[in-house]
Amino acid sequence: MSLETKMKSTLDLNLEDFCEWKNQEKQENTFHKPEKEIIIESLFPEYCGYFGDGQNMKYLQKCIPEATFINTPLEDIPYFAEHDVDLLYMGTMTEHTQERVIQKLLAYQERIKQMIEKGVHFLLTGNSIEIFSQYIEKEKGEKIPGLGIFPIYAKRDMMHRHNSLFVGKYEDIQIVGFRSQFTFAYGENAHCYFAKVEKGIGLNPQSTLEGIKMNNCIATYLLGPICILNPDFTRKLLQELGIEKPTLAFEEDVEKAYKQRLKEFENL
Amino acid sequence: MRNKKGIKFYLVLYLAKMSRIALKIVGRDATYFPGKLAVTLCPDFLGRIEKPKTIIGVTGTNGKTTVCNMIEDTLRENGYDFIDNHLGSNINSGLASTLIEGANLKGKQKKELAVFEIDERSAVKVYPYITPTYLVCTNLFRDSLRRNAHTEFISQMLNDYIPKQTKLILNGDDLIVSNLAKENARVYFGIDKLPTDTDKCENIVCDMVSCPVCGGKLAYDFVRYNHIGRAHCTKCDFCSPKIDYEVNHIDLENMKMQLRNGESYDLINNNIINIYNMLATIAVLKEMGLSQEKINQSLRKQKIVDTRFSKEKVGNIEVITHLSKGMNPIACSRVFDYVRKEKGNKAVFILLDDLHDAAHSSENIAWQYDTDYEFLNDESIKQILIAGARYLDGIVRLQMAGIPKEKIVAKREELSLVESLQLEGIEKVFILHDLYAISLKNKIKQQVVEKIKGEEAK
Repeated sequence: MSLETKMKSTLDLNLEDFCEWKNQEKQENTFHKPEKEIIIESLFPEYCGYFGDGQNMKYLQKCIPEATFINTPLEDIPYFAEHDVDLLYMGTMTEHTQERVIQKLLAYQERIKQMIEKGVHFLLTGNSIEIFSQYIEKEKGEKIPGLGIFPIYAKRDMMHRHNSLFVGKYEDIQIVGFRSQFTFAYGENAHCYFAKVEKGIGLNPQSTLEGIKMNNCIATYLLGPICILNPDFTRKLLQELGIEKPTLAFEEDVEKAYKQRLKEFENL
Repeated sequence: MRNKKGIKFYLVLYLAKMSRIALKIVGRDATYFPGKLAVTLCPDFLGRIEKPKTIIGVTGTNGKTTVCNMIEDTLRENGYDFIDNHLGSNINSGLASTLIEGANLKGKQKKELAVFEIDERSAVKVYPYITPTYLVCTNLFRDSLRRNAHTEFISQMLNDYIPKQTKLILNGDDLIVSNLAKENARVYFGIDKLPTDTDKCENIVCDMVSCPVCGGKLAYDFVRYNHIGRAHCTKCDFCSPKIDYEVNHIDLENMKMQLRNGESYDLINNNIINIYNMLATIAVLKEMGLSQEKINQSLRKQKIVDTRFSKEKVGNIEVITHLSKGMNPIACSRVFDYVRKEKGNKAVFILLDDLHDAAHSSENIAWQYDTDYEFLNDESIKQILIAGARYLDGIVRLQMAGIPKEKIVAKREELSLVESLQLEGIEKVFILHDLYAISLKNKIKQQVVEKIKGEEAK
């Protein structure tokens, strides 16, 4: 499916509120225009944008309005299936939706593995990390097989919700964020973690290593607008996508909010 | 679950009653602790204590308290005698406290009717022991993500625990609510298509996208807000239910609404959420056998309590306070929508931070990004004044909503906001506040009133 066709089909679905597929007006920006067009695909935003996660891509749109943002509804063929993308994003969803998303993406399991091996950027927030895990185990032991890409599995307990704040180190960047989930993950991520825990928990309360990073695929249990909350992280992501000197939207205010939050979290 | 009383029950009942007396002596409400004590010492206490013959339960994400207030005021005016938990908590401990207060020393209830506001998250601790005769469900939306997670979690819990004998009074315009406990007897209330309805969702959040039967895509016949509206499945025959108590005409000029059956009621407030609250009240009272005349005679005298909504004209400017529950994206979005649609130029105060988190932790602000701050990006809103621990996040969120920075005043100290209020050309000042910021709201309102009077005296 061509990009043009894809845009049209999405509009035809009348899901503009989720799949706001605005072919952004190409704005000239001499400071950070990349060498090539950046294509960012957001998977299933009508289902996978819970708890503010959907705003991560809206923020990137404000930072790099010249990029092409594709919002793929669950019933469509993902754009990445037939085209190259620079960043694939998926956010938090309900437990029932997790099963539907796994079913959907199983058809593209090999393609996803290849993309990760090739170094395509992924950003998976909240419980979307579990889609790529070995399996999700329900309370009575029933296992929902995942895509089997990450060396972890999740155990779900719907009667106990974990909530916590998080500070961790991703390379030289301090990440701040929030956790709110019915699951904990287990398995070995010592060689492929996203961030070292400074405050909060890792994959589970006993773990000090949060999330997964495999090549340029980042998966984290942190949820909400993490790109807005973490300007250093977002700047690095944009640099990796080919923007030499990225300027963030509302940079000064986002920086101030980040520094205040980091200080608060560290003092808790 | 009905359990025999036994010695343990009576000991706990007496202990709880004594604790109530002791708390009253020291001037406390005693609406929580006696019940908490009882369910701690005797976990199935709610199952053992006798209940009134008729129980009206009211649950849902938003509107529970207002609907309970309306039901109670109407019943009281029509001579009904009942117990209720309006002063206390709406979880199992609060219900136990109310039942303890209403019981004699033999554990028998002195009154035959109860009106209970029931927290939807507490279904697992309430419904195994209490079977409401009628259960009103106002709506189900995303609420505190930390406590309530999402609507799928809450609706599953209600499905698992609502007793089969309970007659449901459901919002038929809410496709999550209208699908609750399908085996139960039910009636639906709803509002027919309004001129302001649209064919697509304007909100960030819509939690009903696919068919609950086959998973197919839902097509909305009209959308009022979020997932409130009427829809049908594009793949199977699932659709919104036929409405039993349906408003088919709203006359805001004369503040009246008419039901499809010809009955007319006086509106006590022009906000759509309160029209739904009135309709829920009417539906349950009609099911109980009250006439339109009796219901309307009482409703027309009622007003939304000042802690939730107030309006005062000061000189030429209206000062309006409106509860806007923090961490509750839909409640806040509804209020923002109401503000933008009110006539006149406005200044808006936003006081939504969680005061407990501000004092002891750091608030998870993810909910702000599920909330339609975009509604405040309106030509008629000339100034937005935001304060509290999360004021820096507020500046970012408002700019993400497209609001020019020059319209925003953001400060850490709430009480220093009013000095920046610009009244020139302003016809309405809105003070939007969290449930636990009533005292703060009152202080700011007082400052605003003084500022208006001061400027008018010049």
